Amino acid sequence: MLQLRNVDVCYGSFKALTDISMSVDSGELVVLLGANGAGKSSLFNAISGLNKPAAGEIEFEGKRLDGLKPSGIVSSGVVQCAEGRKLFPMMSVQQNLMMGAYVHRRDKAGNKQRLEDVLELYPILREKADQPAGSLSGGQQQMVAIGRALMSRPRLLMLDEPSLGLAPLIVRQMFETIQKINRLGTTVLLAEQNAFAALKIATRAYVMENGQLVMEGDRDTMLGNEEVRKAYIGA
Amino acid sequence: MNLFFQNIVNGLTLGSIYGLVALGLTLVYGILHIPNFAHGALYMVGAFMSYFFMVDLGVHYWIAMLGSAAVVAVLAILCERLVFHPLRNSPPIHDKIAAIGILLFLEAVVQMFWGADFRRMTSPFTGIMRFDGLIIPEQRALIIVGAIVLVIALQLFLRKTMTGATIIAMAQSREGAFLVGIDANRVAMMTFAISGMLAAFAATLYAPINLVYPAMGHVVIMKAFVIIILGGMGSIPGAIVGGMIIGFAEAFGGFYISSSYKDIIAFGLLVVILSVRPQGLFAKGAH
Repeated sequence: MLQLRNVDVCYGSFKALTDISMSVDSGELVVLLGANGAGKSSLFNAISGLNKPAAGEIEFEGKRLDGLKPSGIVSSGVVQCAEGRKLFPMMSVQQNLMMGAYVHRRDKAGNKQRLEDVLELYPILREKADQPAGSLSGGQQQMVAIGRALMSRPRLLMLDEPSLGLAPLIVRQMFETIQKINRLGTTVLLAEQNAFAALKIATRAYVMENGQLVMEGDRDTMLGNEEVRKAYIGA
Repeated sequence: MNLFFQNIVNGLTLGSIYGLVALGLTLVYGILHIPNFAHGALYMVGAFMSYFFMVDLGVHYWIAMLGSAAVVAVLAILCERLVFHPLRNSPPIHDKIAAIGILLFLEAVVQMFWGADFRRMTSPFTGIMRFDGLIIPEQRALIIVGAIVLVIALQLFLRKTMTGATIIAMAQSREGAFLVGIDANRVAMMTFAISGMLAAFAATLYAPINLVYPAMGHVVIMKAFVIIILGGMGSIPGAIVGGMIIGFAEAFGGFYISSSYKDIIAFGLLVVILSVRPQGLFAKGAH
């Protein structure tokens, strides 16, 4: 479904990503593990079109994504829920969610249905619908961010560290809903530092270090791998 | 009592014009982070376009106003496409230099066609309305009502339409706007077009009680910058309230202190307000 071939990303003379080749198949939940600064967000931003890759190809459902504008990539069905959420803080929760449906703005009935689905996934947001998104707790803001991404009707949803800065209980619920979203048919690419929790719900995983992919394997291989355990799980 | 009322009318008139100009300036700054020094030149071109349509082509005031707004909107979009868009990844100082370049260019072009003379543009609204001894010239009433209508129309557009919401979204979180698929170029062009239209409306409303000349934008743009600084850079209510504060200060200061000091009052107020509230009156929470 998503194919990256030999992708390089540079910031000026600094090479943030070197020779990244990876794939995500339809229906999978693929986890991207890596420490801070390993290049996970750079990779996501390259796929989303926020940074242009210096070399390589990015393909989604057979169509080249590199070179498209960010808006074109969202319309193609690849939607990112970024680290730090990037909500519209002064808009209400409902407006934030509806902005997610921007590329589908002509389909009013479809968006209404979609909004119902998101509110069913996160019932607490129904109560908070009229509050400014910036006034919500961290966990609720993360729900709005994921909900907003779902409103864009992704076929591939990329989640960048959704557990960052959340309390352990909230993190667990967060992973449960991510698994649910995946089971309902959305392919997920999840960047995480919280390796154990992420691997538990994963189909496959990649490990990223210093801008390179250094390991790949299915869930059980990764959970059993000595280096992964030492570096990311701490057991 | 009568004089006091007269000063209120004058304050509202000036405040409306300043507010409209500052509104365009603050929109462009708040959304694109460009301090558009050329905004005063767009205002000036707006006045000359209306003058051209009315005096040279002989069309009605309202048509001239709409025509001028359309021309200036296109001109503003051209500025964005040809000058600011190519500079989007440059250091901010380049935007400022380019804006001053546009300002000088537009003034030179207008001077080439119309010369540096002061011109008078008469609107069809020259009458005077009387209410029980209180006097309001029709054009001033038109300015005040016109400004209110434009501000309400702008608010409705920004709050009630999806297209308007993209502008607000871009102002609150640029990356968030990209992530939901909002096209930055479209928003940039639209913002410049709205800003140019507001300048043209303000110029056409104000020209009949003032004069039309190539340097007419200078003082207006200086004051518009004072207004958006004291109102809070990028804040829409800040631009409107700031415009009224400066308008009233000039009307009352000009009358009770001295009319030769009226331009200094705006800058004096800026110093006073910024020493009390350095972030401006309506600092934006979303940044």
